Amino acid sequence: MNRSALVVIAGLAVVASAHAAPPAHYASLPSPSAPLSPSPPLGGGATSGSEGFRHRVAAKTTVEVSVGRDGAPFALHATQRLDVRVLGDYFFTIGAPLLGVVAAPGSASTPGLRATSILWAGFNPGRRLLIARATLDPAAAGSFLPLRIETAPGRVTLINETGVTAGAYTADALVAPVVHYLAQLRQQVALKQTPTSGGAYVTSKPTAAGLRVAAPLRVTGTIGTHKIEAFLEDGSVTLQADGPVRLTVTPAVPERLLNGPTAGLSGRQLLERAERAALTLARVRQYQTYLGNPDPTGPSETTYLYRTAARPLPPPVAAIAAPKRDWATTLGVAAGLLLATAVALVVWARS
Amino acid sequence: MATHREALTLVVNAPFSRSPYLARSIENGVRLAAGEVNANGIRIGSKTYELHVTTMDTALSPARAVANMRRAVGQHAVAVVDEGTGLDASWRIANEDGMPVGVVFEGGSQIVDPVTRPNVFRIAPTDHGIAFRLAEYLVPKGLKVALLHDDSDYGAAGEQALESAFSRNRSSVAIDETLAADALDLGPQVLRARRAHATGLLVWGRPATIAAVLTAARSSGWNVPVFTPPTGSDPFVRQQLADNPSWVDGLTFASGRLTAEVGTGPFLTFEQKYESSFGVDRVGVKSGGRPVIAPPESAMYAYDFVNLIAAALLKAGSPDPAKVTAALNEVTTEGANGDQRAFNHNNHEGIVDDDIYFAHFRDMIYVPVKDDALSATLPTLPQTR
Repeated sequence: MNRSALVVIAGLAVVASAHAAPPAHYASLPSPSAPLSPSPPLGGGATSGSEGFRHRVAAKTTVEVSVGRDGAPFALHATQRLDVRVLGDYFFTIGAPLLGVVAAPGSASTPGLRATSILWAGFNPGRRLLIARATLDPAAAGSFLPLRIETAPGRVTLINETGVTAGAYTADALVAPVVHYLAQLRQQVALKQTPTSGGAYVTSKPTAAGLRVAAPLRVTGTIGTHKIEAFLEDGSVTLQADGPVRLTVTPAVPERLLNGPTAGLSGRQLLERAERAALTLARVRQYQTYLGNPDPTGPSETTYLYRTAARPLPPPVAAIAAPKRDWATTLGVAAGLLLATAVALVVWARS
Repeated sequence: MATHREALTLVVNAPFSRSPYLARSIENGVRLAAGEVNANGIRIGSKTYELHVTTMDTALSPARAVANMRRAVGQHAVAVVDEGTGLDASWRIANEDGMPVGVVFEGGSQIVDPVTRPNVFRIAPTDHGIAFRLAEYLVPKGLKVALLHDDSDYGAAGEQALESAFSRNRSSVAIDETLAADALDLGPQVLRARRAHATGLLVWGRPATIAAVLTAARSSGWNVPVFTPPTGSDPFVRQQLADNPSWVDGLTFASGRLTAEVGTGPFLTFEQKYESSFGVDRVGVKSGGRPVIAPPESAMYAYDFVNLIAAALLKAGSPDPAKVTAALNEVTTEGANGDQRAFNHNNHEGIVDDDIYFAHFRDMIYVPVKDDALSATLPTLPQTR
């Protein structure tokens, strides 16, 4: 049993139900905001130097992924725009495996560069835009991209890479509280609020189970001359297409889970739906936060731009002329020198 | 049984004979931090190190500053805490061993450059930041400013910074003059500024220059507002004008904020430790009948730099100065005033330009102004004992 499942089971708070029958116990549902894996966000996320108050920060990130003809990423750039509110000093670190960082046009300050983080420090007079363009190490950051592209002659496969198995449980449950929680999630998502955790009233013993969830991806753009509009919930899709890739990928809200019909579903089925919805939202939130937001409850958005590009050529290796000698030549020269020395000695001895 | 500790030398390179208040303040900040670091020592591998402080006098002479740096390298110092005089030449000597140099006073923009001078760091307000903040503060007031700077290293660097800061607002400049740093009477120069219809004086120079300008202006009955860089708060200015305290009233200076968002707590704690170790720095004047003291500002910057050195030693896992220099780009500490202190590969400035505030004097003590966004949020520090 994985750790998440243990946590869920441990979190089953047993509370006497107010209803007479069937006997129901309150059980916490998985968090819709807790990350399901260490990354993303990259590099452990963002931190804000604590000086007794918190800035409100809205983060928007655009990740440019340069891919080769084979679809493999070889260069990554991220432009992160932090819209910082609340008057006062700020000191933010944004974790990321960095090769470089510069201020992007419109930034009110210049970002600092560390091996594993972007650094922002200064005074915010009330509102401040901090915009950094970071060059990421593709070897370290590439494995946390949401989409993988594989190419073969005449076809391209798009693979949703966000899938993960998360801890959950199954049980019979009262219908009304779960339907209410799903409505709550739906409303929070519509209002762009951070979704909050909820619970269910279970009427049978919960059993730990792993649920595979993925952040749905909306993929638009072109591959060669083909226009692409795809919605990848999980898994992959193969397209009959060829040519340069120009795709925009955004993590999407799990509409089917939040808005699908609930009528006729059992409490057990609804419970699984609610858990899946909460976990999927948590996964979407992770991919919306490819670079961390120093305000943990602030809104974050990330757009991924995949573009076919020419791989930079390795620097030319200086041509070194091989010495035109071999052992025979070397031995010949040595023998000649010895002979010359001997002749010189004889001449000297007779002089 | 006492554990054997190896000594790491920290050199303080400052003008002890020419600017004793400043130099002593830097030295005291270094000694205070070193004492705290040494309480536990710096454990690297199987060895424990402690910091030993050595002082060298530059006498404000670049040649002596360079000679001192050679001595510091000869003594295998782990770092130099420097006032800044002569650094344009001396940094190379330190860089041969990769030794870090922390500048804690001079703010000239050429002093720090992470690319060409990778071993030079600074915890002090930059001239660039001060000049731009002054321009940002003064231009909207509609003042016609006389830019007066003395011919010291400090004044010359200020002249460059002001030139750049006011380049887009030349109409706000009434006159631009260079003053002799050792002149006792600046009456003629101040009179020229008055005749140029200046409605404000921005004086960038050593404390003696500022005192001389104030004397010249006030003694001629000209109650023009005077603005300065951090040297305006140097005790020397008030000492020189002690017989005419009202001449200091209204003098406004720009400097790095002494308190963080959390309030005065961290700085007052630092000040208390400083005073317990070295006593108060008395200005020699009174306010409301009580003796005025100078908050240990330069000491705070030196203190913070030593703490960063200690953090970098641990991060580097080696006392090798070159490794310590590299590690300085990766560490953060909490400064004496509660602010975060940090350098990085792009920026070797420990004080960000945003953190420059304005304060003006009233009865020999200074209070943050209320007509600037940052300054208006800052509390007044107690300055009498």
